[in-house]
Amino acid sequence: MRRRQPLATPGWLALAVALVPLWVAAGATSASASAPAPAVRPLNAPARSAAPASAVEPAARLSFRLLDPPDDVPHHGVWDRIAFGGQAEARFAHDRVAGVGNPDWASVQRVSGFAVARVHDRLWLLGEVAYDRATDDLVVERALVDLRLRETVALHGGVLPLPLGRANLERDAPRGEFTDRSLVATALIGVPSSQLGVGVRGLLRRASFVSYELDAVTGYDDGLIDDSPDGTRVPRGRNGWADNNGIPALAGRIALHPGPGAELGLGALAGPYNRTDLDGVTVDRSRALILAVADGATAVAGVRLAGEAALVTVDVPPGLQPLFAEQQWGASLEAARTLRQPLIGAWARSSLGAALRADAVDFDRAIPGDSKSRLSASANVRPGPSAVLRFGWYYELRRDRFDNPVPAAGLVLSAASYF
Amino acid sequence: MAYLQAGRGRITLPGGPSGTPAKSHEACRPRRPRSHLAWQAIAICALPLVAQGCDKLLTTKPALGERFDQPIAGLDNGELGQFQRGQAQFRRGFTIVEGLGPIFNNRSCVSCHSGDGRGRPENILIRFSRGTDLALDLGGPQIQSQAIPGAVPEQLPTGVDVSHRLPPPVFGAGLIEALPESTILAHADPTDADGDGISGRANWVTPAAYVPATEPGGGAGLRVGRFGRKAQVAPLLQQTVEAYHQDIGITSSYRPSDNLSPLAGMNPDRARDPEVGNGEVSSVVDYLRMLAPPAPGEGTERRRRGEAAFATIRCGSCHVPVMRTGAHEIAALSYRDAALYSDLLIHDMGDGLADNRPDGDADGREWRTAPLWGLRIAREFLSGTLFLLHDGRAHTIEEAILAHGGEAAAIRDAFLALSAEDRAALVDFVESR
Repeated sequence: MRRRQPLATPGWLALAVALVPLWVAAGATSASASAPAPAVRPLNAPARSAAPASAVEPAARLSFRLLDPPDDVPHHGVWDRIAFGGQAEARFAHDRVAGVGNPDWASVQRVSGFAVARVHDRLWLLGEVAYDRATDDLVVERALVDLRLRETVALHGGVLPLPLGRANLERDAPRGEFTDRSLVATALIGVPSSQLGVGVRGLLRRASFVSYELDAVTGYDDGLIDDSPDGTRVPRGRNGWADNNGIPALAGRIALHPGPGAELGLGALAGPYNRTDLDGVTVDRSRALILAVADGATAVAGVRLAGEAALVTVDVPPGLQPLFAEQQWGASLEAARTLRQPLIGAWARSSLGAALRADAVDFDRAIPGDSKSRLSASANVRPGPSAVLRFGWYYELRRDRFDNPVPAAGLVLSAASYF
Repeated sequence: MAYLQAGRGRITLPGGPSGTPAKSHEACRPRRPRSHLAWQAIAICALPLVAQGCDKLLTTKPALGERFDQPIAGLDNGELGQFQRGQAQFRRGFTIVEGLGPIFNNRSCVSCHSGDGRGRPENILIRFSRGTDLALDLGGPQIQSQAIPGAVPEQLPTGVDVSHRLPPPVFGAGLIEALPESTILAHADPTDADGDGISGRANWVTPAAYVPATEPGGGAGLRVGRFGRKAQVAPLLQQTVEAYHQDIGITSSYRPSDNLSPLAGMNPDRARDPEVGNGEVSSVVDYLRMLAPPAPGEGTERRRRGEAAFATIRCGSCHVPVMRTGAHEIAALSYRDAALYSDLLIHDMGDGLADNRPDGDADGREWRTAPLWGLRIAREFLSGTLFLLHDGRAHTIEEAILAHGGEAAAIRDAFLALSAEDRAALVDFVESR
């Protein structure tokens, strides 16, 4: 085995970190920098008296998935106690790999529909079906019962979004600053990733700034090895419907919410991923997948910063070890700033923003190659907070297992909206 | 984030209903045309720069002749389509679900042949036999060092002849295939009749029974081997089928049964055989046929001096600069000069390089003359380091030359006797091929 050389990928991160202060300084002189803080309006507002945003507990306002996930879902309409809505995103791009264009210039990035039923003040049913480019399939991303026992404790069960980082929890297309999710999210964690399971979540104590979630889920399956042509790839083991080995995996997240727009989370999933016997014949022992994700978001001088880092450890069968990675890692850091608001005088909440992201993934820590790093920039026009038109560019450096670089880049135009 | 209130199209904003200007009197303020003009001017000036820079911002295609995976010139549209299909197959990584294994060496063709060039020591193949007996009862003729769950990777048995073989470059295979046997044999001198110390001979091999007679290198009887480190294979189809079967553990109708090690009890994989169709195998064979060798580098003064030295010390006795192809089904391969710098014959290379393992008609000291084409850009696909000779032990041209022995010992000594400038020029010339 070759000795590992310093990976080129952290260079991207260093560059991004260096550029951000310059960009902040430049932006401060030319634009008002006000982050469009999402106003949270409880979904059940029509049924109840409309609660002012300030009536929601501060911690609950800051987190996407605390006690009331339906609160955070924009909806199209309400019929009786059922709210429904959806979102869609189209991507138009000129992508090139080493100068060779990809004829696939238009694609549906994501389209989903959801319904939320308030059966009782404490009991909710949620369902969401989505086609996502990452899964390339129509997938039930959410089909769960949510029982709110107390403000600090809620039980849920069904198909749940895994609490593995902000990217997986905030997967709605119009929310993002970039058309394409980060490499960490797509290539390492496998966003969007939902699994069948049961769990508990809530705040550590009433009015706390610490939220938690702990779920027993089906876990990833052995597709991450058996169905992966490129080496260990966790997304290939994404399986939301069934447990292939009868042993649940544990997934959880704990997050701090120190202030508006700020969050610091630590999530993890651990559990066996493989089948130990096939048709009654024992083929292997139980092998574990551990996936840890740290994520954070804050705003500094009008710049919204968000980052995510993930570490994957896979117990690979000995016969496959040289070709399938046992450890992978990745990180992304993005900075976004509103340059002008309102952009159009008549639309008070229209805005023009810009965002920059650096991200990198090392698919195999044991060798110098098998990695990707990417720099992305995006200019975003938001006619309102629920829709966005993005124009972006990215440059990606892919390294094969020989550590040979292959550049890829693209110009991307996308439109995303809730409906 | 509940931006939408119940009901289509209604937007609730904290500052008031949608469409209401936050400060209506601002709408009456005169515009600042100067500012707008400035932005427009900047935008107009920037557009040509953006257009100019776009190509670089979006990556550029490498020039023709600068890669190993480009098609040979003169292919028609149908052949180019076939080339692309074959390229996709060549790059296809097989999964366990699709039939990878049960024992294997790597997941795809390209994962051994970096960028369609040579491999690295991590991908080295270990061949073994007992003399000319392929030791099938011991799992020969190749160690499969990887295994899917339920199978066990092979271990090298004791008491066998072992040979380490670096995956060779695959470009130019069509030109090699298109060389008439008579052209190759014209350079043979098995008894060293001309007394120059070089006694190259053909490795006469029997094509696999599954290779139809219509296939180049196929048919009954002995054929001139031309592929492999010891020229131990004649048809390109056989080379491809065996690579699928031995290296990736993929069955085809030509080799329909999984490769199982008799020493370690194991079951076949769970994929239905054959795991690739004949069309997929054929597309890879055609792809290999249509791969062009990279273009040689510019002819500088120093390289011309090196070329002269190359000729003076008779490197070209074995590394024959050019051979001409004959008729081939693919017109672009027919009657072309192939500057491969090899005679495709096997030569005694001395004890230092001997693996003491026979292969076909080649003995343990004989190796096929390695083509020198493509050396110019070989480093680019090996993350900067060259791996030369059959096992990758040499990292520079000079190291490779100095490892020559046997028939080439006199030429190696002649190289050492050259002036330092001539040696450097010769190395530069070889590395520019």
